[in-house]
Amino acid sequence: MRVIKMPGEEIKLDRIEEFLWEIPKQGGMRVPGRIFATEKLMSGLKSDNSLRQVMNVAHLPGIVGYSLAMPDIHWGYGFPIGGVAALSIDDGVISPGGVGYDINCGVRLVKTSLVFEDVKDRLGRIVDTIFSLIPAGVGSEGAIPKLSKQDEKRLLRDGAGWAVRAGYGRNEDLSYMEEGGRLAGADADLVSDRALERGLKQVGTLGSGNHFLEIGRVEEIYLPQTADALGLFAGEIVVLIHTGSRGLGYQVCEDSLKVMNKAMANYRIELPDRQLACAPIRSPEGQDYLASMAAAANYAWANRQVIMSQAEKAFMQALGIGPKELGFSLIYDVCHNIAKIEEHVVDGKKQMLCVHRKGATRAFAPGHPQIPAAYQDIGQPVLIPGDMGRYWYLRVGAAAAMEKTFGSTCHGAGRMMSRAQSKKQSQGIDIDQEMARRGVVARYRGRGTMAEEMPHAYKDVADVVETMELAGISKRVARFRPVGVVKG
Amino acid sequence: MNEDRGTFREIEHTADLGIEITAADLPGLFAAAGEGLFSLIADPENIDPRDQVAVSAVGAGPEELLHAWLRELLSQFNLDGFVGKTCVVERLTDERVDGIAHGETLDLSRHRFRTEIKGVTYHDFKVWQENGAWHARVIFDV
Repeated sequence: MRVIKMPGEEIKLDRIEEFLWEIPKQGGMRVPGRIFATEKLMSGLKSDNSLRQVMNVAHLPGIVGYSLAMPDIHWGYGFPIGGVAALSIDDGVISPGGVGYDINCGVRLVKTSLVFEDVKDRLGRIVDTIFSLIPAGVGSEGAIPKLSKQDEKRLLRDGAGWAVRAGYGRNEDLSYMEEGGRLAGADADLVSDRALERGLKQVGTLGSGNHFLEIGRVEEIYLPQTADALGLFAGEIVVLIHTGSRGLGYQVCEDSLKVMNKAMANYRIELPDRQLACAPIRSPEGQDYLASMAAAANYAWANRQVIMSQAEKAFMQALGIGPKELGFSLIYDVCHNIAKIEEHVVDGKKQMLCVHRKGATRAFAPGHPQIPAAYQDIGQPVLIPGDMGRYWYLRVGAAAAMEKTFGSTCHGAGRMMSRAQSKKQSQGIDIDQEMARRGVVARYRGRGTMAEEMPHAYKDVADVVETMELAGISKRVARFRPVGVVKG
Repeated sequence: MNEDRGTFREIEHTADLGIEITAADLPGLFAAAGEGLFSLIADPENIDPRDQVAVSAVGAGPEELLHAWLRELLSQFNLDGFVGKTCVVERLTDERVDGIAHGETLDLSRHRFRTEIKGVTYHDFKVWQENGAWHARVIFDV
């Protein structure tokens, strides 16, 4: 038994295993809470409200199993970031807060045929070219020819497939994304005019805050056969792209929260935090949210597809090489803010569940039918970005994920310092020099954002993934080191 | 309508930004909240109030109304890049607010840009009266 003292309350936790803690069912909780964290990470949790949020999520009608928290957990809006909740599609609810404002914020990893040693002297040129082709930062727009509203609706319907048909990337890329880069239930007519307006000019843009495009090199390989199957070798240059559905997704979330807030009274749902606003999955409001969330998710897949294609052009331009020599190829694209309808085994029985992953990544085990054929033996690739100065990891899903977390794992390092604190600590630091000291060529729009995003503001991602390794939820495949970064 | 200008201050939050506002009356609170929001986006000092944007919002009660007001102001930024220097509330009832924001389109070469605010959250969101003054707390998504 561990007691966490927080301002105004005490939370008691049972230690189930070295890396697993449980908050017993109490009060209005329908299920217990379970937190995956090592001792080191758990001691950091008492300084924010995330444990209380795990308990609040357990109040949701129709929640199955546990209200789960991944080791990178920190407090968010209603749901903690790093939260996973599975709800029965028959009598459960869907909650936009369990997806997040940035619907289908996610990451994709692209391999190349390049070796770091061969291009390290030209990294500045590569990063500059990427910076010129991929708009980043506030007000960034105009990456691709302006869309008509009709085009945009097609994009919302077809997701990454729209981008491929428009000439960005290749058809085979679609096999290496969740859902083939398109959720079929999307309804673009449910997306408000304001959301459409916000999305019109932002396709192919990176955004700001913690979004980035990173060039990395493979620093260490832990599972050689798996790395081989993924096309990874030591010293290889790879590209990591982190962004989501931009202003459109935000607006869809905002519009949906308004609807859900009103609907709660109709369905007589009472929750301890209004940001858990929800409606039964089978209700018109629930179905409408699923359909508009899908549209926003499709926007994000199209966005990442366009950005990947632009990055490929940038590499070719900067190095004066063609596509074959470059060998740009998508390894996998994962979502970390989304709700999915999935079949899971609960107490020995198959059940259809709506799995909310907010700041959490799907991690299906080998043999799962939704993993690409080429990865059936190794499991679903999982990308865990760190901060922009330290390492990050590629992992694969394992059997324990299906048993313990509805096929889910963490999503990244997680912040441990407020933006104001980070800025303070960044004062007097020459950002370019600091990044260069870490071996990273950085190009960015806003010094302010960089100051807020410096490595000192983040947890060590190694601690986060250690928990998942101990729990057997995912297996580490390779570690990467950033060598170039583009930020808004 | 709001003679008394309210004040705002920034508050700490791990991943995002927040403000706390104090004013003698509700119109003052709404005006100061709007100015606080824009001040997080760009330094008001070098914003020229050359343009006027009419902003209206509806909501049931002061809390809902303030939230809706801030969302409307933010959408001026998100849609058109408009950053306000001052906000004036012209009319405020239990269910509706009408006002004007004075400012201009964000110009990165002239303005000191701070942060891209993406949304108005309900996290810790509160409007309350204390010792005869109105207070509010809002956290914005960055």
